[in-house]
Amino acid sequence: MSTDTTGLKGPRHIAGLKGAGRAEQAPPLRTAGPGPIKGAGRFSSRSIGVVIVAVWALAAVAAPVVAPHAVDDRFPGLLNSPPTVPHVSFVQRPYIYRWMLVNQLEQRYEIDRGRPVPLRWFSGGTLVQSSDEARAPLLLFGTDSYGRDVFSRLLYGARMSLSLALVSAVGAMLVGMAAGGLAGYVGGALDEALMRTSDFVMVLPAMYVALALRAVLPLVLAPRVVFALLAGIFALVASAARVLVRHVLPAAGGFVATELAMLIPAFIVAEATLSYVGLGFPDPIASWGTMLHDASTNIRVFADFPWLLSPAAAIFLVVLGLNLAIEDAGGYERTLG
Amino acid sequence: MTRYIIRRLAFALFLVVAVSSASLLLAGAVPGDFASGTLGLEGARRDRLEQARERYGLDKPLAVQYRDWVAHAVRLDFGNSLLYDRPVGDLIPERAVNTAVLALTALTLATVVGLPLGIVVGSRHGGLMPSAIRAGSVVLLSMPPLLTSLFLVFVAARTGWLPISGMRSAVAPPGGAALDVLRHLVVPAAAIALPLAAMFERLQSQAMREVVRQPYVLAAVARGASRSRVVWRDALKAALRPIAAVYGLVVGTLLSGSFAVEVITAWPGLGRLMLEALSARDVYLVAGCAGMGSIFLAVATLFSDVALAFVDPRVTE
Amino acid sequence: MLAVAALLAAACRTDTGSTSGAAGKSVSTSIVRGGEIVASVRSEPRTFNRLTARDTTTDLVSELTQAKLVRINKVTQAVEPWLAESWTLAADRRTYTIRLRQNLTFSDGHPFTADDVVFAFAAVYDEKTGSILADSLKAGGKTLTVSASDPQTVVVTFPFAFAPGVRLLENLPILPRHKLEPALKAGKLADAWGLSTPPSEVVGMGPFVLREYTPGQRLRFERNPRYWRRAPDGGPLPYLDRVTVDVIPDQNAELLRLESGQIDTMSGEVVPESYATMKRAAGEGRVQLLDLGPVLWADSFWFNLKPGAFAGDARAAWLQRDELRRAISMAVDRKAFADAVFLGAGEPVYSFVTPANKEWYWTGTPATPHDPAGAKALLASIGLTDRNGDGLMEDASGQPARFSIVTQKGRPRLERGAAVVRDELKKIGLTVDVALLDANAVIERLVSGRYEAAMYPILPTDTDPGTNPDFWFSSGSFHLWNMSQPKPATDWERRIDELMAQQIGSADYAERKRLFDEVQQILYEHQPVVYFAAQKWYVAVSSRLVNVAPALYQPLPVLWAADTIAVRPR
Repeated sequence: MSTDTTGLKGPRHIAGLKGAGRAEQAPPLRTAGPGPIKGAGRFSSRSIGVVIVAVWALAAVAAPVVAPHAVDDRFPGLLNSPPTVPHVSFVQRPYIYRWMLVNQLEQRYEIDRGRPVPLRWFSGGTLVQSSDEARAPLLLFGTDSYGRDVFSRLLYGARMSLSLALVSAVGAMLVGMAAGGLAGYVGGALDEALMRTSDFVMVLPAMYVALALRAVLPLVLAPRVVFALLAGIFALVASAARVLVRHVLPAAGGFVATELAMLIPAFIVAEATLSYVGLGFPDPIASWGTMLHDASTNIRVFADFPWLLSPAAAIFLVVLGLNLAIEDAGGYERTLG
Repeated sequence: MTRYIIRRLAFALFLVVAVSSASLLLAGAVPGDFASGTLGLEGARRDRLEQARERYGLDKPLAVQYRDWVAHAVRLDFGNSLLYDRPVGDLIPERAVNTAVLALTALTLATVVGLPLGIVVGSRHGGLMPSAIRAGSVVLLSMPPLLTSLFLVFVAARTGWLPISGMRSAVAPPGGAALDVLRHLVVPAAAIALPLAAMFERLQSQAMREVVRQPYVLAAVARGASRSRVVWRDALKAALRPIAAVYGLVVGTLLSGSFAVEVITAWPGLGRLMLEALSARDVYLVAGCAGMGSIFLAVATLFSDVALAFVDPRVTE
Repeated sequence: MLAVAALLAAACRTDTGSTSGAAGKSVSTSIVRGGEIVASVRSEPRTFNRLTARDTTTDLVSELTQAKLVRINKVTQAVEPWLAESWTLAADRRTYTIRLRQNLTFSDGHPFTADDVVFAFAAVYDEKTGSILADSLKAGGKTLTVSASDPQTVVVTFPFAFAPGVRLLENLPILPRHKLEPALKAGKLADAWGLSTPPSEVVGMGPFVLREYTPGQRLRFERNPRYWRRAPDGGPLPYLDRVTVDVIPDQNAELLRLESGQIDTMSGEVVPESYATMKRAAGEGRVQLLDLGPVLWADSFWFNLKPGAFAGDARAAWLQRDELRRAISMAVDRKAFADAVFLGAGEPVYSFVTPANKEWYWTGTPATPHDPAGAKALLASIGLTDRNGDGLMEDASGQPARFSIVTQKGRPRLERGAAVVRDELKKIGLTVDVALLDANAVIERLVSGRYEAAMYPILPTDTDPGTNPDFWFSSGSFHLWNMSQPKPATDWERRIDELMAQQIGSADYAERKRLFDEVQQILYEHQPVVYFAAQKWYVAVSSRLVNVAPALYQPLPVLWAADTIAVRPR
């Protein structure tokens, strides 16, 4: 359950606009002269944001093609091994160097500069692979503690986590809109009841509910079932949070994306937390939440295996992209700066 | 206004009862109980298991247990914790104070850092500093709290400046007990405060940006008011509303949200207590923690709603 | 005696090992008295009453504050006189006359006599108390008869000629009669010495005395000035003045604290992932990293063999067959298992009793070769083959050859082990689902028999098989694959029951060994439990500690001998 407080609530107010629909807002003042200069160029922050989000969406969709390996491909001799950095040269194809195991228990590796291993494009059903997969696999972001390719898992994880977050957020907004609209229609008593129900949902010991839920479910859960379950739980809790914070009518425009930007990391973390009680995606399904959870089991991750934190970097990029994309480009000329 | 408050208090009481009851009844659905957890595989011996259940009062049907609990609860006796062998009513306030200290410190820190930053970012456009601040917020928001606290603990351990575990040292160092607690408070409070500050900053900057677009702000500027006066006087009041709206919820859920931090830094708070109680299936303690959590939430949302009502009378319809 | 609840109370990440093993003992010529150490545990004690709980921390409190008649040296596995000075065995081989040490007192000054021993037995056997220690002090399921022939002599009579003899008595903490007898008489002994007991009430003859318990944070112990034991130089023990036990739930935080010198010893061993950090710290002189070799007990992997457990399930035809388990044993590459689960710091093992248990290991244990083709052939003989060419096996009725393994979430060793088994079996076409549940839920499933296969650590407290009948006998509650049977379900289990009954009654070690070898042979043939690899244990303590005697003893590899630990003067 999302026991993380830092992202579940969106801004649900607009100063001074309660009751007054958008239509009543006075048309914005415009300065004379040519159109706004800042914020509307080709490299505006908004477009950067859109590009970032689009790249991740594309990565998520195209994962089976772009990822060099499957989520459960294990390389037994390469646990927690560092990334194989591709070298580009004009005289030959791009190549990588192999990592050799120096000490297994200490998880130390040494680079084998003697033998560059060229990369192959469009082979094995994927975009790019090493030409010697058995001995020198292409590991752009290294491997995790099971010896699995972090880059591939990151891409597949994008599919899982982003789609889950999207579905949950949409679900939350639908529930919120329905409840809010109904409350607005029916009036005060239902409104109060909704607030109280939301309080209840928020304070119930989530882990307990999760445990109880896990107990009544069959021992083995298919990933689809887990997805649906998690989406349902997140949507419910997020909409409860929204109810508690809202003071006005349902969202429109910018606030949807702002909420999404806040909800996504919260959902990912919640997904990892729920896996503590067995309600997470089963191994070896990759999701950003479970990848981060695995990373946090070893304190060496900060000093020695930073590539294991790439899901955090990925979340950062997605959230940043969303934040940039929703920022109001039009209107800069009207700010005080 | 008074009626409003009374109504809210009544609902808060109902909420406490509802949540505690739900926790107790859920216990029936959860696999294993305190007896089976204590015995482990020994519980395969039915007679031992039954004997242990009887000793802990877990052999009665759920409805009977609940009825007994309610009968005691109305006399403010919330049962004995199975795990700690002490009355729940003694154990919880002790730990709640610890969590409250942690939560309030973190909240203060987060507000003091996040709010001004949000105002600054929202009232300007472009520029290096706002972009840097925004990037920083996003980094903090995208790190799960588990990782943030682990990282802080890691840094604290490597630099050796701060204690990384517990609330007090075994032997109070020179400077007194209060300073000792304060030093232990730094890492856990920072772990909670940083992501919270990031969230405040994001919300505040968004709100600020909205307000700054309003015609009345432009009118003030056109009238010749200085920029900083407009920001800090006219626009700010309006822009604080989103934070006020969120505050209640944040405080209320900070209790359960702090459990990850409490576990990693071994802070003896309510969140960690709840987690231990859940793992051990100590039903009375879980019910007590849940009840306490709902009290936190109720009080916090009440405060924030009352504050909001003062600021914006349109809220109390 | 099988101690498992320690694994439960530890909220998740503790790795466990257990008894015995050779270890380096750092002996200093001149040991300085005084000083204090800080130890850590994962969770708080459930109670101070060792009779009713066996979690790690409760066990630690008992080890520090209580003493026993004899002690089994966890390094040498030999029985040492402790509160008992000497004992003689009568001609009937059933009666021990135990002479107690003279002039001993409890930590509050009350004299120690044979009546306290009789009381301790009565407390453990008391029906109303329902102590979990009761079974570990019975021979063949029957209680011992104890009487005090004079204030310094106790006569213990076993129901038959019990081979392990006084070894059994190590399970009995000698509780203070003057403090607890009223509770026993009132039938409330199980509730005595709960966590709200004032520390001064927790009286014993151990090396330390409980001084303070801060709930949620720590326990503090001080030296017992009336501790009976003397150092080799004739001076008093323990060497240390104080022991502080901090509660640190998170493994990472514990590691960091040891590394930075804030604590002196960890709970349990250094997990493989942390080895590099500890090695670095050892290189810088901040910790001592001790290599104890492979552990005595490897994690167990077994199937639910209760007759009728899979009634109505078409897979019943093959899920409980010996051939399935033998095939799994052949299919899993044990070296790959050790590499993945222990980062190479593990030895392949093929039986419950591992080579580290030098006294009892059957040296003829065959090393099952890694033979996937052989495994497939074996599976084909019970009807499991790939019938439709998709690379996965199906059984005779066309159902996929698929089963689930239950194990505990939050314990990387078990999670990884199950994952390796799943991956290895996928290579020969068996599909495995790994279900990770929290500790309580796992126990509940194992005890109620609602599982297909499980992977879990089972740790006896002593190397002598006669002292853990619960595992070997089919009526035992730790007879994992089919617990507490009223009568043996299979012929081979019946045979094992017979052999074990003979084994614990025989006086001659060679005879016992022969019988027990045969038991191990039968187990190897039928493989009710499959073992893959035993972890090599590393233990880390701060560089301040001297005279540490680390042993392969879970959960107290270092603190089992707390009275002889000392610190370097600063």
